[in-house]
Order: sequence, then C-alpha cells, then structure tokens
Amino acid sequence: MESLLEQMKKNVHSIFLDATTGKTYHLQELLLSIPKLDGKKLVFLYLGNDIRSTSIYLSFLDTDHATVLLSESLDTSLKENLESEYRPTIIFDCKRDHIDGFESKTVPSDAFQTSIFIGDHTPTTVHSNCKVLLSTSGTTGSPKFVKLSEENLLQNARSICNYLPIIKDDVTPLNLPLYYSYGLSVLHSNAINGGTIVCGLPDILQKEFWNQMESFGFTSIAGVPYIYEMLRRIGFLKKEHPQLRYITQAGGNLSQNIKKEFNTYCLEHHIHFYVMYGQTEATARISYVPPHLLEDKITSIGIPIENGRLSLDKETGELLYKGPNVFGGYSEKRMDLNKWEHIEFLRTGDLAERDEDGFYYIKGRLKRFVKIFGNRVNLDEIERYLKSSLNIALVACVGIEDKFILISHCEGHIKDEQIKSGLFDKFKIHQTSIKIQQIEEMPLTNNGKINYKKITEDFK
Amino acid sequence: MEQKNIELLIEAFSNALEIPKSSVDDNLKYQGIPQWDSITHMILISEIENTFQIEIDSDEVLELNSFSKSKEILGKYNL
Repeated sequence: MESLLEQMKKNVHSIFLDATTGKTYHLQELLLSIPKLDGKKLVFLYLGNDIRSTSIYLSFLDTDHATVLLSESLDTSLKENLESEYRPTIIFDCKRDHIDGFESKTVPSDAFQTSIFIGDHTPTTVHSNCKVLLSTSGTTGSPKFVKLSEENLLQNARSICNYLPIIKDDVTPLNLPLYYSYGLSVLHSNAINGGTIVCGLPDILQKEFWNQMESFGFTSIAGVPYIYEMLRRIGFLKKEHPQLRYITQAGGNLSQNIKKEFNTYCLEHHIHFYVMYGQTEATARISYVPPHLLEDKITSIGIPIENGRLSLDKETGELLYKGPNVFGGYSEKRMDLNKWEHIEFLRTGDLAERDEDGFYYIKGRLKRFVKIFGNRVNLDEIERYLKSSLNIALVACVGIEDKFILISHCEGHIKDEQIKSGLFDKFKIHQTSIKIQQIEEMPLTNNGKINYKKITEDFK
Repeated sequence: MEQKNIELLIEAFSNALEIPKSSVDDNLKYQGIPQWDSITHMILISEIENTFQIEIDSDEVLELNSFSKSKEILGKYNL
C-alpha cells in the first residue's frame, strides 16, 4: 500500500510557505532526518501552527513510529501526566528546554534547526496499525486518544480530495491546529492535491491574518461554528474576498441563520460553501453537502464521502458510518496502544433521519455530550467530577443547544464560583458557557434516574 | 475616559478573561496571556457592549487588542 507521504511526494505543485518569514519550502526540504531507532516507537508531538511543527509532523509521518499529536500550549503538568501514563520514547516540545529522563538531540535540516527529546526507558509497545493518535477533547489533557492507521489517513484524504475543489493553484491557510482532526485533514488533502500551504499564521482575530489573506491570496478558509460566528462579527460578509474560491465548515452545527447568511453571500460571490460533518473517530470526514444543494438542504449534514456509507440503527435511529477511515478504537492507557479493534460500523452517537434524496439530518444525541467551541465535553464526566470534588449528592448537567451547560443541584451551601472555577481548572470550560441553577428537588424518572428531559424542558 | 467607566471596563475584562482586576493594566494584550484567546475575545467584546450599552463596530473588534486600545476605542463612544 502506498503511504500518505508518498502521495504527498508525488504532488509536484506542493509548496509550504512560512508566513512569518515569507520563505517557501518544498516538501523534501521540510523532511528532517530523524535519528534511527530500532522498532516502532511512541512519539509525542506538541504542535503549534508554525512551519517547524508542520515539518516535524511530516518528518515523523515518514517513519514507522506512532505519533500522538497534542497542543504545545497544554499546561506542563498535563503534559507530564500524559507522559507518565504513556511513556513515549520521543518527545517534540518547543516549550520545554529539559525533560527528566530524556536527552535533547538536534535534528539537522537545510531549512532550520530543531531538537527532539529521546528517552532510554523501556519503550511502550504500539500496535503496527497505529500511526497517528488524536485527542477528542481539545486542550484538557485527557488521556483518551483515537487510534488511526496510515490507511485511515490516506483514505480519508483521498475521499476529501474527491469532493473538495482542491487544485494546484490553491493557496491554503492552515488556520486550524494540526492536533485537531479537521485541521490535520486540511493539511493532508492539500498536500496531496493542492498547491501552496501557508503555515505560521496569526489567528483570524488579528489584523495581520487579513493582511496576509490579501497579500498571499488565500483560496479557502476552514472553520468550526465559532469561527463562522467570529467571521460574521468582524465584518467578513461586508467585504469582498476576490481570491477566495471555497470555504468549509465542520466541527459541529452552525446556527441556521448564520449558515443562511454565509450561503447567500457565497452564492452572490461565486464562492463554494461546503457544510460538512465528521468525527475524529472517522479520521475527520464522514459527509458533506454539495454546495449547489445547500440552499435546499440547509439543515442537512449531507451525503457520505466517497467509499463511505451511512445508515441508521433500526431500533434507536443512531447514525452509523462504515468506511476505510473508521478508527481502530480508543486508547485510555498505555496497555491499549498494543491493541487494534476492527470496527465495521462507527456508532456516531448522533440520532439522525434520512430524506428521500438520501441526505441525512441530525435530530439529537444518544450520548450525553455537548460541543462547546468545537470541543466535545462529556456531561457525565462533568457530573462525576462535581460530585467528587464538591461533594454534591445530586447534580445534573445538560447541554442547551451546544451554547452552554446547565448545571442543576440542590445544595444551598455551594457557591456558583466554586463550580465555575473548578470546571475551568479541570476542563477549561469558560464561565460564560456555564449556567447554574439551584433547585428544590431533583426531577427523577419512574425508575429513579435523573430526568434530564424534564430539566431541559423546565429551563426553556 | 471617566474614572467610573475605567472601573467598569476593568471589571468587564476581569469577568470575560477570568483574571483578577489587579491584572488588568496597560500591559494587557490579546494573546499576551493564555486567558485572552480568540474565544474569550468574543466574550470580552459582548461583555463590553453589555456593560456600556453600545455596539462595537466590526473593524474595532480586531482593533481592540489591548487594554489601552480598548480605552481609546471606548473614547470614541464618549464614555
């Protein structure tokens, strides 16, 4: 089987541009010679959006090692927790000069110098299929990873190239993090089919991003719902973007009115607007709405990508996905890395319906989680945390339309600030995403469980 | 800006960024601290709008990238 990197190497039009210096590199120049180690090793990469992070990631893609992609801005204590659980042999982290038990080694290259940390402890055994591991919860430092294979990455990148109009003249900004499956998919699909990939960009709330958008002529932008909300707020729809050919949206449900505004703008300006759906467990992408049908199917998650199939569980209505990009299971601890599950149907946890044209619509969630700012938050986990840390007997967390988490409890002595600061420290949930209500009695179902439905209805 | 309004502005920053009021000074810049990122920036903008009952212009959402700049911008709203 051909590897993803071999596919990238075949793309003669691919150029990597460092926005901070204006320098350009060919893929070959970015591939660093990683010190040879015997066997497959576990690698932790703490990545930013700079060219060096892209370079180091691609260089490890060129090896047999399994790489866990994480944010460089994680707190050091969270990094150390993950490292003591998983015991990686190699670590890349620009934010630390020294790591106990590891030796720093310079990795030479034509483009720039960088260094990695190599440890000499007994290596962690990793299943031969594991290539890239991603977290589903963003920047909370949770040890739960999604295991992806080379085949998963390659197949999903190919399917994406099949429906997105990625061409050799493109100038694609990497404006999403590489440790986020959506951001990684932008890199992969553009590296195999696109043209210039721009690294080292400031975020979209800095004027410099918009100066660079104009001077480099970005041809696409990728965004999760809150990015679209920001774009709208900063006047994106009031301006002309002559170089822009298409924009993509994934990572949760964008409010229908905002989606419509963007669609109207895009239709008027001949920009293709791709609304997409996916999960890290499916490498990134599962389905998309063809832009010319978006007006009619504005609330839909679309049709499956090439080689993927969607179906509905007959009993529950849960959306099931089958395809070559379905992951090999979760890893929550070191021992899990040596296993690879064959998962035929990915259970998305979303409840869906299908229309007569074969388009799917999300109707609700089977699993108890919310998506706040593109990150998945498990409501049961929050309940467990609040119960143990604040000693609350009965506490109920429900998500209100992915806007905020409603926390209901019956304890008079607990202050709202205690709950908010606890959730910020532990889960990095901002206080404005939390609403707290003290109620006299917890609504229960007939069999004595918390009645989440009633709590949600009473609130509305 | 009037001292009373500066106090309110400091409070808005402190609430939106979840930092103590004593940390809100002229050195405070967008992305200068981990707490002031793109998400909290949007929260900050609506916090300021609610505090002063104003509507911040879309270009100013990007310009408002430090505490001192915010005082300058709010000056335009005669605060």
